[in-house]
Amino acid sequence: MILANLYNKVLGFFRQTEKEAEESSKDTARNRLRVVLMQDRTNLTPELMERMRKELVELLSKYVEMDKEALELNLEQDGDQVALMLSIPVIRAKDEEEIKAALEADKKEEEEEISDDDTEEENNTYKSADNEEEEEEKHEDKNSTEEIDESKK
Amino acid sequence: MSGRVIVITSGKGGVGKTTTNANIGTALAKAGKKVVMIDTDLGLRNLDLLLGLENRIVYTIVDVVEERCKLKQALVKDKKNPNLCLLAAAQTRDKTAVTEEQLKDICEKLKKDFDFILVDCPAGIEQGFQNAVAGASEAIVVTTPEMSAVRDADRIIGLLEAKEEIKSYKLLINRVRPNLIKSNDMMSVDDVVEILSADLIGIIPEDTGIITSTNKGEPIVNDEKSLAGKAYNNVARRIIGEDVPFLNLEEPQGVMAKIKKFFSGLKGGEK
Repeated sequence: MILANLYNKVLGFFRQTEKEAEESSKDTARNRLRVVLMQDRTNLTPELMERMRKELVELLSKYVEMDKEALELNLEQDGDQVALMLSIPVIRAKDEEEIKAALEADKKEEEEEISDDDTEEENNTYKSADNEEEEEEKHEDKNSTEEIDESKK
Repeated sequence: MSGRVIVITSGKGGVGKTTTNANIGTALAKAGKKVVMIDTDLGLRNLDLLLGLENRIVYTIVDVVEERCKLKQALVKDKKNPNLCLLAAAQTRDKTAVTEEQLKDICEKLKKDFDFILVDCPAGIEQGFQNAVAGASEAIVVTTPEMSAVRDADRIIGLLEAKEEIKSYKLLINRVRPNLIKSNDMMSVDDVVEILSADLIGIIPEDTGIITSTNKGEPIVNDEKSLAGKAYNNVARRIIGEDVPFLNLEEPQGVMAKIKKFFSGLKGGEK
């Protein structure tokens, strides 16, 4: 019995190490495939992602001081949906005056460019969409808490 | 410089065209040749994955044809070897996005700057195949020792023979399993060569290392220990014109086999 146990343990040890080595290459394959499939499905090339990253850095820099190089923008799959995951290492939030200054500088630039009626309209639609989503979420929360209450009863 | 344009084709899918392309291309570049690989599998590109270049593609062959960029801009340099480039296929278009004439034209232009232009052909015998073959003057037909693959290879050889531009074609037998051949459960290399009556340029053994090398996006010719890698290196040397004997695949490779061999060698010495 003891011998058999020992034998299994030794064998198991070797199997484990083998498996780990296998998994590393398997994991690279899986991760590479995920990225490529995201690109295929969304049509977002690495070039476009990089452009998006840069524009996001520019936009967010108005509000927070961050590690620009460490900003990560990835496409991730969650079930049927593709999500854009953004991870920003924030060094510190900017104070009000800094934000104001950045926004004003931005306004000036915009005015210098073309008329910005369209962009304002777009902003508005985005806002209303956001609000709707938030409201929906609240509803869902209420529903779920209600359900819990009922189950307690 | 006037480069050689070689199309790598098979008829049947899944026999290892793209793997062969990636490995021969890498091996030729390692031998100091300037190599460009063209993926003509529009809509189903994979050569970029095998080379680990999938994140570096900015422009594709369709961008070149539709004049959104210059030909040179679309060539993706390999990570390790500056002699090696890839002209990627577009993933979002179909086979009609590039014509035979356009591919011919691209090959002609590339001939000036490269020693070898390797064209990765899509499976099948439709327009994709016709396009890939259009600019080539040589062909490598990839097959495996299986009935369906050999039958499709025969069909491809027939089509190649009818093409005036193709001056020569060679056979590459992939995924050979010496153990199965030994037990008469697989057609031997000789069987396949005899059936297809074609010149042989390579015999590649089945190698699990191919799976891990594909996972990592690194062609197996970079792995000095791999038998398949050696076999692919030999193919490249034969393409350059060297006379390289075929590997003896029957030689036992396992650790136990090596120990056995070592002891049998000792016995021999005692006599």
